[in-house]
Amino acid sequence: MIYAVFAPLIITLLIPLLSKWKERVHTGWFILPVPILIFIYFVQFVGENFTPHSESYSWIPSLNISIDFYLDGLSLLFVLLISGIGSLVVLYSIYYLHKSEQLKQFYIYLYIFMFSMLGVVLSDNVFVLYSFWEFTSLSSFLLIGYWHYRERSRYGALKSMLITVFGGLSLFGGLITLSVITETTSIQAMIEQKDLIVNHSLFPLILVFILLGAFTKSAQFPFHIWLPDAMEAPTPVSAYLHSATMVKAGIFLVARFSPILGGEPSFFIIVSLFGIVTLFWASFMAVRQTDLKGILAFSTVSQLGMIMAMLGFGTDVAIFAAVFHILNHATFKGSLFMIAGIVDHETGTRDVRKLGGLMTFMPMSATLALFGVFSMAGVPLPFFNGFYSKELFFESAIDLPGFSGAFVEFLQQAIPYIAVIGSIFTFVYSMYLFFSTFRGKYKEHELKTKPHEAPLGMLISPSILVLGVILIGLFPNMVNESFLAHAATAVFGDGFHAHEVKFWHGWESPALRMSLIVVGVGTILAITRKKWTSVYTVFPRRLSFNELYNYIVDSIEKGSTKITETYMTGSIRHYVSYILGSILIITGAILFITNGVTIEFDDLAPITIPEILVGLTMAIAAIASIFTNNRLSLIIIVGVVGYGLSVLFVIYRAPDLALTQLIVETVTVALFLLCFKHLPELKNLPSHPGVKSINFLISVGFGVLVTLIGISSHSSKLFSPISEYFIEESVPLGGGHNVVNVILVDMRGLDTLFEITVLGIAALAIYALIKLRHDKEAK
Amino acid sequence: MSNIAVLPILIPLVAGIITIFFHKKIKAVRFFAKLVTLLNLGVAVWIGYYVIQNGTVVLETGDWVAPYGIVMVADRLAIFLVITTNIIATACVFFAQHSLSLKQEQFYFYTFYFLLITGVSGAFLTGDLFNLFVFYEVLLMASYGLVILGGERVQLRESLKYVLLNLFSSMLFVTTVAFLYSVVGTINMAQIAQRVQEVEQTGILTTIGIVLFFVFATKGAIFPLYFWLPKSYIVPNTVVSALFGALLTKVGIYSILRTFTLMFTNDTGVTHELFIWLAALSMLFGVIGALSTNNIKLIIAYNIIPAVGFMLMGIGLLNDAGISGSVYYLIHDMIIKAALFLMVGALAYLAGTSDLTKMKGMIHHYPLLGWMFFIGSLVLAGIPPFSGFIGKLLLLRGGIEEERFVIVVIGLLTSLLILLSMMRIFMRGFWGEKPDIKVQPKQARKLMMPAVFLLTLSIILGIGAEWFYPHVDTITTELLDQGSYIDSVLKE
Repeated sequence: MIYAVFAPLIITLLIPLLSKWKERVHTGWFILPVPILIFIYFVQFVGENFTPHSESYSWIPSLNISIDFYLDGLSLLFVLLISGIGSLVVLYSIYYLHKSEQLKQFYIYLYIFMFSMLGVVLSDNVFVLYSFWEFTSLSSFLLIGYWHYRERSRYGALKSMLITVFGGLSLFGGLITLSVITETTSIQAMIEQKDLIVNHSLFPLILVFILLGAFTKSAQFPFHIWLPDAMEAPTPVSAYLHSATMVKAGIFLVARFSPILGGEPSFFIIVSLFGIVTLFWASFMAVRQTDLKGILAFSTVSQLGMIMAMLGFGTDVAIFAAVFHILNHATFKGSLFMIAGIVDHETGTRDVRKLGGLMTFMPMSATLALFGVFSMAGVPLPFFNGFYSKELFFESAIDLPGFSGAFVEFLQQAIPYIAVIGSIFTFVYSMYLFFSTFRGKYKEHELKTKPHEAPLGMLISPSILVLGVILIGLFPNMVNESFLAHAATAVFGDGFHAHEVKFWHGWESPALRMSLIVVGVGTILAITRKKWTSVYTVFPRRLSFNELYNYIVDSIEKGSTKITETYMTGSIRHYVSYILGSILIITGAILFITNGVTIEFDDLAPITIPEILVGLTMAIAAIASIFTNNRLSLIIIVGVVGYGLSVLFVIYRAPDLALTQLIVETVTVALFLLCFKHLPELKNLPSHPGVKSINFLISVGFGVLVTLIGISSHSSKLFSPISEYFIEESVPLGGGHNVVNVILVDMRGLDTLFEITVLGIAALAIYALIKLRHDKEAK
Repeated sequence: MSNIAVLPILIPLVAGIITIFFHKKIKAVRFFAKLVTLLNLGVAVWIGYYVIQNGTVVLETGDWVAPYGIVMVADRLAIFLVITTNIIATACVFFAQHSLSLKQEQFYFYTFYFLLITGVSGAFLTGDLFNLFVFYEVLLMASYGLVILGGERVQLRESLKYVLLNLFSSMLFVTTVAFLYSVVGTINMAQIAQRVQEVEQTGILTTIGIVLFFVFATKGAIFPLYFWLPKSYIVPNTVVSALFGALLTKVGIYSILRTFTLMFTNDTGVTHELFIWLAALSMLFGVIGALSTNNIKLIIAYNIIPAVGFMLMGIGLLNDAGISGSVYYLIHDMIIKAALFLMVGALAYLAGTSDLTKMKGMIHHYPLLGWMFFIGSLVLAGIPPFSGFIGKLLLLRGGIEEERFVIVVIGLLTSLLILLSMMRIFMRGFWGEKPDIKVQPKQARKLMMPAVFLLTLSIILGIGAEWFYPHVDTITTELLDQGSYIDSVLKE
């Protein structure tokens, strides 16, 4: 199994080599066998006696991350879709993309996607699943941005990435929480701890985290906005990622986690509500679109909403209908996308307002589209597979799980109605899609080229899909026991019993009545479409979620510039006041919270008058320095502080320190005087009095703070200092009577060595600075 | 054998001094610098191996026994960081000649470079708080030398802020060490830890600890102390930016990690709580900064701040997952930041501008650089299976274990915004129509090689996490058990 998953990745490494031949042979032909072989490999598992398979490979065992592949009915359904549709899409793309395009990149992205999508549906380890999950988002980003010289492509790519990665990160949070609670990283092991999880106080958080991941990926309302813009991708990509597979990853995720999170009222409410609202809203919006792919995008969103809703219902009929519809949707929507691509390819436009009457020019495509569209609309005829799952959907919508609660009861009442209304619009846009493209008046002057039927190669893939539509329609039980039942069991649990899917349930069946209402009302609305489309103008575009997204992204950039420019003023005075202010507030608070202030005067030496005098002089000088506008007097005043310090050293019997300090002061003053004449005029920067007083408060406060900490440290001498050892050992071990000297050159000689180094570097840096500038100016 | 602990400091020190004497013979200096850097890397790896086999190496310098003399402590954490430092040094030394002007190289770039490595390695290895201050001075002085190298007006303007604020924090550092010495009577880190544990009334110690935290936070660029960082990191040459971005802030973070797992763990309700909030603010403000500009170098420089926030988060959590997350993230971030700085440096050089609004379609001419940058962005944003993911996974797990959901959500959101800030560069700089510029494939290749090396390591650090994570796990155990550090230094 691992070879099957990694095969697309390995082949991407070879693509750059193959592309050297692209002059003669389209790159697609070389790599087409890969998904076909994967499909053949997995199709062998299909059968009534299927049991889950698992394979395990160690990766990061110390973090409980291992590559565990778990193939159950659900994963089998998805791997077959991924590899099956994948093969058809690659075949289709060979005719769709010309050799002059950047095929190398295209197929690399596509196969990375295939690889990661296979990984998502097969991984049992949550973190490996997450890894693959993010890679599906990223490869989708690259594929949408494939024609990156187009502004719209870049916009769509970024939008899809931001929304899906946002969801991905949320999913990540949910998965970590799950793994912390259950102390395992395996989904199957988590299922066994369902009781622990659903009764845990963090359950709501997990639910929200994981569902956000699923809803963003599967384009559920209001996160659906990225999908229509994703249509900027080449059509094979739209058919593959943005209708058949990637967008179903969210569906997959909800299905996969249903045994853990499902069966709870909160799960039912959230998932059903989002699903059913998405179904309605997107089908309603689809009618407004003018771009063929735009209609299909909204249609995809709406169909995903329907599947999501069924997963939310969680009854066995609903689950079965959901997996059934996953398969059906892939067949009819995949073929419709391919037809849309063909229309675009052969006429040069996808704008339905410019299209019409293409039936005569493209009879094959029109026939294929007819099957796809009628299946999507759920027309009750036995060769449209969409009808069966639509009818099962109605059936499940009237038999919802019996949770209690006011809101739940309201939902139970409302869902069947919304389901019907949503389906009516589905019917309307399906008819609109077909009739406005293939029937009606041919608008010759609108098209740049004369339309003609697509090359045979391009028609192969949609024909195979339409064949699937018809075959499943005629023999729905062919895929039932051997295939779909296993998928449903994986979601619902062992209590699932396979249903026989029947075309005819008798006139008594409420689902049939709902279907008939849909067809009836739908036909009327479809015919009168032009008369009521004005309802769309009721909603101003400014209030759409798209505008909200644009507003958020826009304000992220503008807002962050604004915020950053407010405080990153480039002024050192501001920075110093921010820094000192925050240190002051936080440290001051902590000093008082922790009762850190201790003031004791017990062990102080008596203070003599000379000390007081020197201290006062220094203090006055320091304060005076603030009020000086003259640089020369400033230097002298600061000098007073320094010299005062050396006097203090003398009083405290540290003559060597006093000498050092004296030299330092003298040299500093001398240096200042030397460069004095080169310095600019000292200006008193104007500042607001309020700012001034804040700065005053900060500086005084900081001084007080340091003093307080100093006194408190002095007052809490808790241990005997190690200096006693130095004094004792100075002569016996160091051989010197001056302890300071022994410390400097022996006991802590390393410090001294590096302090000297520091001085050396400083000298060298100054020399280099002057020399380099000097040389530059000399030029 | 304990002498080996000083080699990673001694080798670059001596090399730095030697290069002064023939600084104009540039070919010789280059060769010498590369050779010594590789040697130093080899030595560091060997010490690392030795430490893994035999445990922590403690050197009592001048045979003055601990806690009286200065000790060098090569435990796993320290030596791993020294190895990472030398890896970055290797990449930078091979990049230097392609990005610096001949004059800059001649005027002691290599000396400052070696002394910077000396200071950084010393700060990782020392077991003495005052000695840590000394190594801070070494690395800062060397960085002053590097930041003004070239002497452009803008460099002098920004470096002045850098120097002033860092001087202030150094002053505060030495004052705080004096206060601490007054209370506990020692500056040996192990003994401080030992004595702090014995104290019951801890208010003043907590306060001193916080002041020390602010000192380190200034170097580590934590909110609200990072104002000096973004601009001063982009004015020097690319290779200097890469060294700074990878090494300097990380020394600050390392110091916080060391001090607040070893010494100040008495009042975690106050100190570590504070860290978590500052971590959250660093993440948010840092990434907001990264989104605020169109200057590609500045975007990377701002991205240092949220990364620092992530590491601080783990320290604040102070649980197994949090600390291992911080350590993993620390090593990962050193490598990826260096790689990214080198890459945007190369991009700015090849595009002739670092302004995104003036750049487009570079991927048409430099596909390799584009894809490297794309992968680098994923690494930075913590997308699996790259190295950022491992650290982020651990940190978030640590956060959830402590039920700190606010910071977890902020962390997730920050990851998204980091990705957005990087994708802005990718989409505006690399995507788009083919630009009309002079193509320099040869120069591009030379500029890219060091980044390729670092990026490969970053990928290995992610996919091959199993080779590294067990060591990080051991480091965490060592960090959370103060006794092991104290015993190995004080030998009781």
